[in-house]
Amino acid sequence: MNTHPYLRAFLAGTFVPTLILPLFLTVFIVVRLILQTPIPIERGLVFPMALVPILWALWNVLWLGSHSRTHLPIGPHGALLPLLLMPAGAIAASCLGILGLGAHGVTWFHTWYLPYAVIAPCFLAALAGYYLVWKYIVGFLNQTLGIA
Amino acid sequence: MNAHDEERMKQFLKQALPPMGDAEPGRDLWPAMLRRLDARPTAVPWFDWALAGGLAVFALAFPASIPVFLYYL
Repeated sequence: MNTHPYLRAFLAGTFVPTLILPLFLTVFIVVRLILQTPIPIERGLVFPMALVPILWALWNVLWLGSHSRTHLPIGPHGALLPLLLMPAGAIAASCLGILGLGAHGVTWFHTWYLPYAVIAPCFLAALAGYYLVWKYIVGFLNQTLGIA
Repeated sequence: MNAHDEERMKQFLKQALPPMGDAEPGRDLWPAMLRRLDARPTAVPWFDWALAGGLAVFALAFPASIPVFLYYL
């Protein structure tokens, strides 16, 4: 198990988003095709299906490559990822027309309204969630694959 | 490199690397390994429980944030 550590890091990093993709597809089929709900979910699928798994995988490869110098634990390393993902996701959502900026808040998918005051706690919650997922799930996978 | 040089190189290497001596461990390590395998896993720290609880409370307080979180996962 001493060969191709970066390939194993890539696979371990992409594990969690890849598990969630079928859930997205199920929600998409149920909401759009069966219930015929007018929420443009398909436009929002581009970011989590195309970019997020690759970014998670590369982030884990980066952790493996830099760990010998930084000694940063996997949890805090994963908690830094939303700093990159959130602006990128917001730009992508704005370009795809699923994020509307209003006077007092933003509207996602023309349906879910979030006041600006909630966005900062949302960001902190994302940091906390990423910290936990990276510490316990990605860290476990890295240990199982022999790279941590 | 001729045979004489090779012999000298062997002598140098033998001088530089001390003999291994007894390579076997002094005691049987397998029982300690079994104890470690049977030991309970490390408990989750309270800080992580607090973070998970805070996340759950936040999701309940602002359900509109759930699809946004899923968008970023």
